[in-house]
Amino acid sequence: MRHQWYPVGIAAKLPDSPAESLLLGERVHIGRAKGGGPQVTDAKGRALPVLTRFGHVWTTLGTPERDLFTIPEADQPGRRLVDVGTVRVRCSPLRAVENFLDIAHFPFVHTDILGAEPHTEVERYEVEIREDSDEVWATKVRFFQPQAAKSAGGGITTDYMYRVPAPTCSILYKTSPPRPGEWDVITLFVQPMTEELCQVWPWMALFDDASTMTDMIHFQQMIFVQDRSILENQIPAKLPLDPGLEIPTRADMTSIAYRRWLKRHGYTYGAQLVAA
Amino acid sequence: MTTTWTAAALSQDVPAGTAAPGRLGDRDLAIWRSASGKIAAWADRCPHRGMRLSHGFVRGEALSCIYHGWRYGQTGQCIKIPAHPGLEPPDAIRVPAFAVAEASGVIWVADGAPATAPPAFEGFTGFRSLQVDAPASVVAEALGGKGDAIRAALGPTPAVALIQPLGPDRSGLHLLAPLSAAPEALDALSVAAEDLRRRAEAGQKGRAA
Ligand code: FES
Ligand SMILES: [Fe+2]
Repeated sequence: MRHQWYPVGIAAKLPDSPAESLLLGERVHIGRAKGGGPQVTDAKGRALPVLTRFGHVWTTLGTPERDLFTIPEADQPGRRLVDVGTVRVRCSPLRAVENFLDIAHFPFVHTDILGAEPHTEVERYEVEIREDSDEVWATKVRFFQPQAAKSAGGGITTDYMYRVPAPTCSILYKTSPPRPGEWDVITLFVQPMTEELCQVWPWMALFDDASTMTDMIHFQQMIFVQDRSILENQIPAKLPLDPGLEIPTRADMTSIAYRRWLKRHGYTYGAQLVAA
Repeated sequence: MTTTWTAAALSQDVPAGTAAPGRLGDRDLAIWRSASGKIAAWADRCPHRGMRLSHGFVRGEALSCIYHGWRYGQTGQCIKIPAHPGLEPPDAIRVPAFAVAEASGVIWVADGAPATAPPAFEGFTGFRSLQVDAPASVVAEALGGKGDAIRAALGPTPAVALIQPLGPDRSGLHLLAPLSAAPEALDALSVAAEDLRRRAEAGQKGRAA
């Protein structure tokens, strides 16, 4: 868990004097190095490895075996890259990711925006753990949405793909309302502060020429604030990795695969192993 | 196992068509009332993904979880999973339900089946619930009594105080007022109750210091 890259800030908005934060329960400071680039130090003042990608600064407390994942689609010309900002949520970092992978809650939590009754059905979709890339993927996900994005005029059936490239990161590919052949990219990067506290850093790479940056940021922040009201009220706070405590259905195939994949990797920070 | 009744809330605070959080011992409850007025007290946790059911919404005679809309009937049995409208939910999906009864405008809950009905206080009805940052014994002492049901005059108004332990330093205080009390008497009772809370909390701080 220490050997993973985690997001800790927005590259374009680094504080002038180092800001204190938490990573896996350890104190870190995020600021600027002499040359102006990002600098992250641990509790003993040692500089931690840093890299800048997807508009965010990433660091690690260990020595990651792999480079941070890439999102090739985000490099396509014509996309607008949106640093949404951050929301702090009193929940397990893993619950935050799992919620992001879930569509069945749209009609109830994001009512009249991402979903609406009676369009509650989740059709069968495909889920796999891709062995070559060691990522969780859900494809052929479809859902009816009254207002899928800031750029969407009315209700449409939206196609989605979900990708989990790292234990606390998820990427959503979603039909782009202005460009039906292309995918909008919406990510959720989660900084695990403690096992029951996290900072989520959404980031987007969208085909949207009409909305202002402020509109797009507000839209996404409103969505995350609605999710927070759920995430801070789930019991237990930690994500149960063993079956038994919670009852999934077919709509939860992505969540089932995610939990299985976490368990396979022994990624237990923010997880509960034995059913309480 | 608590087979005695615990005063968990006042009837007036859970109107028809609403859900509210409650406690029984160290367990969180979802207390809710159907459109036709039936009261229920359940474990405050949806079996699907653990969301608190006290945040849910009532439609007709069922309570729905706010997260994915799973709907539960009076007994706690899941009766609808909106993501799969054609599916009949398996019997195993059920929220644990507690015994619940109402008397004198108070909602009483119990784990198991108490042998007797909850106490009724003739001529009194639920008036106001307060939370006090002090243990039940300190609240009882501030009321000049003992136990969890104390008859006391609060200001000029006679009242029944039901004290619910909510952990080591926290109590619920459910106050009953005379059915015949005039509005001014009720106002005075409210003021006296808040004063009582201040005294209990100050006493508790003094003790802790
Ligand atoms: S957590 Fe209650 S319906 Fe999903
Ligand atoms: Fe959501």
